[in-house]
Amino acid sequence: MSRLSQFSSEIAAIAIIGLSFLIPFITDSPFAYSTHNLIAVAVTAAFSVYIMLRMDLMTFAVPAFMAVGGYAAAIAGLKFGIVDSFFLTALSFVAPAVVALPLGILLLRLRGIYFVLVTFLLTQILQLLIFETPDLTGGTNGLVGMPATTIFGMELADNKSVLLLAIGVAFAAAIITALVSGYLRREFAAIEENEVLAQSLGLVVWRYKVIGFVVAAGLAGMAGFSLVNMLLTAHPTSFSPQSSVNYIAYTIIGGRGSMLGPVVGATLLVWMSSIFSTHGEFSEGLYGLLIMVVVLAARGGIVGTVAALWRRLTRNLGSETSAAPIVGTVKEVAHER
Amino acid sequence: MASFVSAGLIGISLGAQYALLALGFTLIFGILGVVNFAHGGFYVLGGYVAYSCVAMLGLPYPVAVLAAMLATAALGYVFELFLVERVVDDHLATLMLTLGLYLMIGTCIQAVYGPESPQFSFPITGTLRFAGFYMPLENLVVLAVCLVAIGGVYFLMYRTDLGRGLRALADNREVAATQGLRPKLLFPLAFALSCGLAGLTGALVTPILSLGPLVGEPVLATAFLTVILGGFGSIIGATVAAFLVGLIEAYSVVYLGGSKGALALFVLVLIVLIVRPSGLFGKEARGA
Repeated sequence: MSRLSQFSSEIAAIAIIGLSFLIPFITDSPFAYSTHNLIAVAVTAAFSVYIMLRMDLMTFAVPAFMAVGGYAAAIAGLKFGIVDSFFLTALSFVAPAVVALPLGILLLRLRGIYFVLVTFLLTQILQLLIFETPDLTGGTNGLVGMPATTIFGMELADNKSVLLLAIGVAFAAAIITALVSGYLRREFAAIEENEVLAQSLGLVVWRYKVIGFVVAAGLAGMAGFSLVNMLLTAHPTSFSPQSSVNYIAYTIIGGRGSMLGPVVGATLLVWMSSIFSTHGEFSEGLYGLLIMVVVLAARGGIVGTVAALWRRLTRNLGSETSAAPIVGTVKEVAHER
Repeated sequence: MASFVSAGLIGISLGAQYALLALGFTLIFGILGVVNFAHGGFYVLGGYVAYSCVAMLGLPYPVAVLAAMLATAALGYVFELFLVERVVDDHLATLMLTLGLYLMIGTCIQAVYGPESPQFSFPITGTLRFAGFYMPLENLVVLAVCLVAIGGVYFLMYRTDLGRGLRALADNREVAATQGLRPKLLFPLAFALSCGLAGLTGALVTPILSLGPLVGEPVLATAFLTVILGGFGSIIGATVAAFLVGLIEAYSVVYLGGSKGALALFVLVLIVLIVRPSGLFGKEARGA
């Protein structure tokens, strides 16, 4: 069992996002550009949910941290004239991470349920905070007229370069996600499998949860920056509490067992909702239905189910080498059997 | 002084509504260990069922309220029996299931009734006025019904065999099961009771506040706040915390204005979580 195949889904996820850099050079249809841009934002945000789900924690705080990252970048651009995209991306990661650190230390010692509910409240509260601080955030008007960002001094103003930046942010987010979930693979698996047992074996569970939470907040912030940069405005409606459910849906429906899951889920669902945008109001119900199907019938989501089918197919074909599971944690593999 | 008392009365009437919602929410958590994200959905559904009964079938409002309660309870019963029951011990799975149901309820309502708020107003209007205090009459009626319902829940939980059985299951499922209590029979009932309470509140309150496909979200947030404050699974805690939340909200609207009250509440919840993580009346909050 080589180390490389252990990380095949991480590598595949990064490779897919890397390949999508080519798309802006193949087509120039505005529909493809805007859809692809939305997908890049959604994938970045879905990684945030993915990291939390690694530890069996559900988070509704993605829009809250997206707002912190997005507003931090917008304020830096508008009030301080900082437009370097590397700096802004880093800022949009660090700002929410700094906010998340004390919150995580405080909340992650509590039972998982408390944490979930507080993340839900957090998103509602952040929305109120934006309305209450019009001097800093522009209140209900938002911050309009973000200056175009630059990379190595070159201005990224047209649609194509904005899209390229969004893919770049998603690419960076994928690498961070792969590094963190790979480096802490065993710790996360232990927490997911049996938290009490992990703790009794000497794992300081809450410390790893805090690390995961801080990174997840940073990833959400990057998605926020990407979204703000695409719309050229930081507006409270971009970070509505209702949208938190979408990011959860992308990750769960795509498959929470591997890093490919959020990529596949976000791509498929965002693509579908842009095609059926005339019936946009039904997309939430569809997400709800799909989430229920995943919970009751297809635990691994799209990626996990396809992987399980593939494994069964190759086994039936008589290949003796039954490889270790590529995707999915121990728990899920056990469930499939 | 008069405004102080009026705000207090409004706070108590808000508190009674929140108590009904939080009681249902905390019952499900205490007994089944399930966080019901669809609770706000059942509230909205209750409002729409009552609206349909009044506007389309021409039924009198009290009958409509009763119908809303029964309809939401029935949906809750079926949902628990056929879906939640399969994964009842997996916290995350039940959370996702109820979240999925919440999304579907919202979409179905939007598909049937459209995204606009329907015209649904309380049948009794007017203001009660004495010694310089004002109290809208409909708030008084809602307060009275809520208090009766809260009393009913307490009677059910503490004075009947069903309630004793439910509390036993909440205390220790294994021991209760060995004593002959059947979770398979009681869980759907508990779920139905809780959803019925949410539906009842929705039918009562939405004509006064507002009815729309999205009004469930703030309701859910308030239920969370209340339950965290009072302590998870605690019936008394949920009731006390609900009145506290109602009063804080009413007074902050008068004296602070805007959404500062909601912010203050959140800070309060954070402080409670640091100082006393189990809430005001809860038992245990740390650990898995």
